[in-house]
Amino acid sequence: MKDIIELSEKEITIGRNEFLKVKGSIDTNLYYVKSGSLRIFVLDNYEEQTIRFAYRENIIVSLDSFLTGKPSDLYIQAIKKTVVNVVTKNQIDHFLEIEKNQNLWTKILENLVLQQMEREIDILTTSPKERYERVLKRSPRLFQEIPNRYIANYLRMSPETLSRLKKS
Amino acid sequence: MQSEKLIQSHLEKTRQIINQIEKLKTFDLNVLTWKENETSWSILECVEHLNLYGDFYLPEMENKIKNSSSKNELEFKSGILGNYFAKSMLPKEKLNKMKTFKDKNPLNADLDKTVIDKFTNQQIKLLDLLNQSRKVSLNKVKIQTSISSLIQLKLGDTFQFLINHNMRHLKQIDRIQQTKKTVGS
Repeated sequence: MKDIIELSEKEITIGRNEFLKVKGSIDTNLYYVKSGSLRIFVLDNYEEQTIRFAYRENIIVSLDSFLTGKPSDLYIQAIKKTVVNVVTKNQIDHFLEIEKNQNLWTKILENLVLQQMEREIDILTTSPKERYERVLKRSPRLFQEIPNRYIANYLRMSPETLSRLKKS
Repeated sequence: MQSEKLIQSHLEKTRQIINQIEKLKTFDLNVLTWKENETSWSILECVEHLNLYGDFYLPEMENKIKNSSSKNELEFKSGILGNYFAKSMLPKEKLNKMKTFKDKNPLNADLDKTVIDKFTNQQIKLLDLLNQSRKVSLNKVKIQTSISSLIQLKLGDTFQFLINHNMRHLKQIDRIQQTKKTVGS
């Protein structure tokens, strides 16, 4: 992963609640979070649905745009003041011209597929308690980095339900 | 210009505008309501002025996009009038004064920080309309202006006009902050 982050030649700082990406834009960059935290969400009838989080040392990307080069509905917003390193698709393509880098890249993508499957199971799990426990087990750090109300939205429950589950 | 390129450029500018306005939320109310003199605008009055424009244009655009049977076109060509209006909105090096229509003048209205939230919500709506506009022709859909229902602009020019107008007053907001720093309060 370090090899990929080192490709970056640009750093961006964005303030709390500011947007890195908005609905409909084509964003083929990959962002490495140096500090702060962000979330990816979609607006469904003016309701925000949080899809994913990123905090220090994570990668965040609008994967649909990145893969297709087409507009993506995703919003990426800073939860607090955040500094990211930008890696462009061009830089990645160039990086992947070397064969051993392709193996690394495949590993990263495979890992991502597994994460997406876990998330799919989360969403299909009926019990709020079970949804909470799955995510807590998988990403305990999330609960230290991200405010409750965003985690509650991610877990598809009210902030009140989440605080109750955290206490029990 | 290619329609998609234009939409991408509008989306990016709107993103920057949202971020710039978001910073205002951290300011104290006395900064936001400060004005150089009785007839000049405060920061909140600038934002409210933009809201009044949004109140007029956003529903009009939404309606026209929804009810249009036109097809998406690869190319957008700016109209003569539309191009003129949009360009006239662009802030110049030294901000040129423009006359405000009475119904768009928020001077001395009782304003609080909710006008900033209203503006942000309007920009989210604008993003939505930009996305919806992919399904129709930016050339053939015509939008009535707030000046007169007889003067109509192409949808593509209306987006440009509205975004340039936003940028113009964000520049003015920058300038108010600068003046406040030099004059003191």
